[in-house]
Amino acid sequence: MKFRKLFPIVFSVLFLMSFGLPKSLDKRVDKEVKDVFEISSYNFSSIEISTSIKSQLPSAITNENFFKISDQGAVLGYVYLDKAPSKTAQFDYLVIFDKNLKIARTKVLIYREEYGGEIGSKRWLSQFTGKSNKDSLSDIAAISGATISVRSMKNAMSDILKSIGILHNKKII
Amino acid sequence: MKKVILSLILGATSALTFSQTVQDSVAQTPQQQNAAQRILSANNGNAVTIGGYGEVVYNQPEGDNGTLDVHRLVMLLGYRFSDKVQFVSEIEFEHVSEVYVEQAFVNYNVANNLNLRAGLMLVPMGIVNEYHEPTTFNGVSRPAMDHEIVPTTWREIGIGVNGRINSASLSYQAYIFNGFKSTNADGSGNIGGKSGLRGGRQKGIESTINKPNFASKVEYYGLPGLRLGLSGYVGRTQADDEVDHLPGADVGLSMVGFDARYVKNKFTARGQVIYASLTDTEDYNELTGSELGSALAGWYAEAAYNILPIEKEQRLFAFARYEQYDTHAETEGSLMRNDAYNRDDLTMGLSYHIANGVVFKGDYQIKNNAVSGSDAQNQINLGVGVWF
Repeated sequence: MKFRKLFPIVFSVLFLMSFGLPKSLDKRVDKEVKDVFEISSYNFSSIEISTSIKSQLPSAITNENFFKISDQGAVLGYVYLDKAPSKTAQFDYLVIFDKNLKIARTKVLIYREEYGGEIGSKRWLSQFTGKSNKDSLSDIAAISGATISVRSMKNAMSDILKSIGILHNKKII
Repeated sequence: MKKVILSLILGATSALTFSQTVQDSVAQTPQQQNAAQRILSANNGNAVTIGGYGEVVYNQPEGDNGTLDVHRLVMLLGYRFSDKVQFVSEIEFEHVSEVYVEQAFVNYNVANNLNLRAGLMLVPMGIVNEYHEPTTFNGVSRPAMDHEIVPTTWREIGIGVNGRINSASLSYQAYIFNGFKSTNADGSGNIGGKSGLRGGRQKGIESTINKPNFASKVEYYGLPGLRLGLSGYVGRTQADDEVDHLPGADVGLSMVGFDARYVKNKFTARGQVIYASLTDTEDYNELTGSELGSALAGWYAEAAYNILPIEKEQRLFAFARYEQYDTHAETEGSLMRNDAYNRDDLTMGLSYHIANGVVFKGDYQIKNNAVSGSDAQNQINLGVGVWF
């Protein structure tokens, strides 16, 4: 009986606790999209991908983290949101692709460790800009004192580039 | 967009709700950064973080008996009270029998670019004082100047701020600390000629304070592979109440440090320059009978190359480091500079990382000092270091 009484309290607490973070994230994603494409309005739409194709993708793409960005029917690009491991925690990052499936922007949205957060550097992340699935990431520079987060980000970017390549070959995007 | 929000809500709530679940922290991949990081991290949702690092070393000076020592074994324990508030501690066993608390502080993430921190903290000066886990530096021992000039592990109790500005690739730290203790109630001195400031560290053990000290560091990592640091420390030493009115009981201290780390493919390099200027050392030496220099200075440069193919998890670095350090870079009054304190070491060796977090080390050190005809003992060192 006690549990039943607790449920609404627990849920409302979780609801309230969780609302602040995504709201601010949402704003940051919105700001990046508007900035990259120099637009003031756009639409997000999810992309239907069959389970069998999903299983071939190195990145865990779902219809909740990968979206098509369009404006008045014209495709502008795609946005991908995911988490990647840092030393012991995970950080949230965002990748925006242009309509040619080249990386237009990457951003670390939330970094949860004190050290290794150097990967959030705008300048370091700009090294990914312009890369497509045909490009190698071997020229991405290392950062002293952030070795693991750099490796993790490179792996994550390599995976999403490969995934985008597969989706393109399958004529899904 | 709602689905993005939903998925993030789910992620955030699952992290919050499952934070009490016990997980095997040993299964986490260890990494080569700073130990405090393990604890400051959210640890994939774990509230408690347990970790450790240690080094067991064998030093063999030429012509003398060797020494085998569990140099240090450090237990890391942290707790994440919320995504914004964390506690970090490091309990250190030095030479098996001495117990110290190396760090014990609360970190409060006030805003995206700002943390407030208070407790027993590391003084940000040079590279090794903050990044001192054995898998993060080459050589069995830390660079000697990170012993004689920067007295690692240099930690005091204090309060301050730190943060990172991503748009400028900058990080900053600024703290008010308790300073070194130079003079005891009986008039004896803790700091002096050969080891400089080392003996003055209070380490949070019933520390005495009458004048706060200020430490800060700014780091820039915007150029590919390069990381630059500029550290500053200013203040005065402390003295026990019974003597702190006497001239020379305390001395003024200004220390500045510049460090650089570079990594490109299989090549890494690092270097640092430290200069410390002290005032009132003539009075201090007269009062305590010490031979404290009025300037301490040192620098080192190190290059390393990974012999193994870059795609291998194991790494075998061959390295060489040259360092020069002098605790009598300048002296005041009648104190003559002691050339034996003007030292230089050449260290050459191997660091074999057999897994991320485990390193076997071996090196040979050619030691020298400025005394003409001196014959300082060279040394072979072997060691094993772990970090998890």
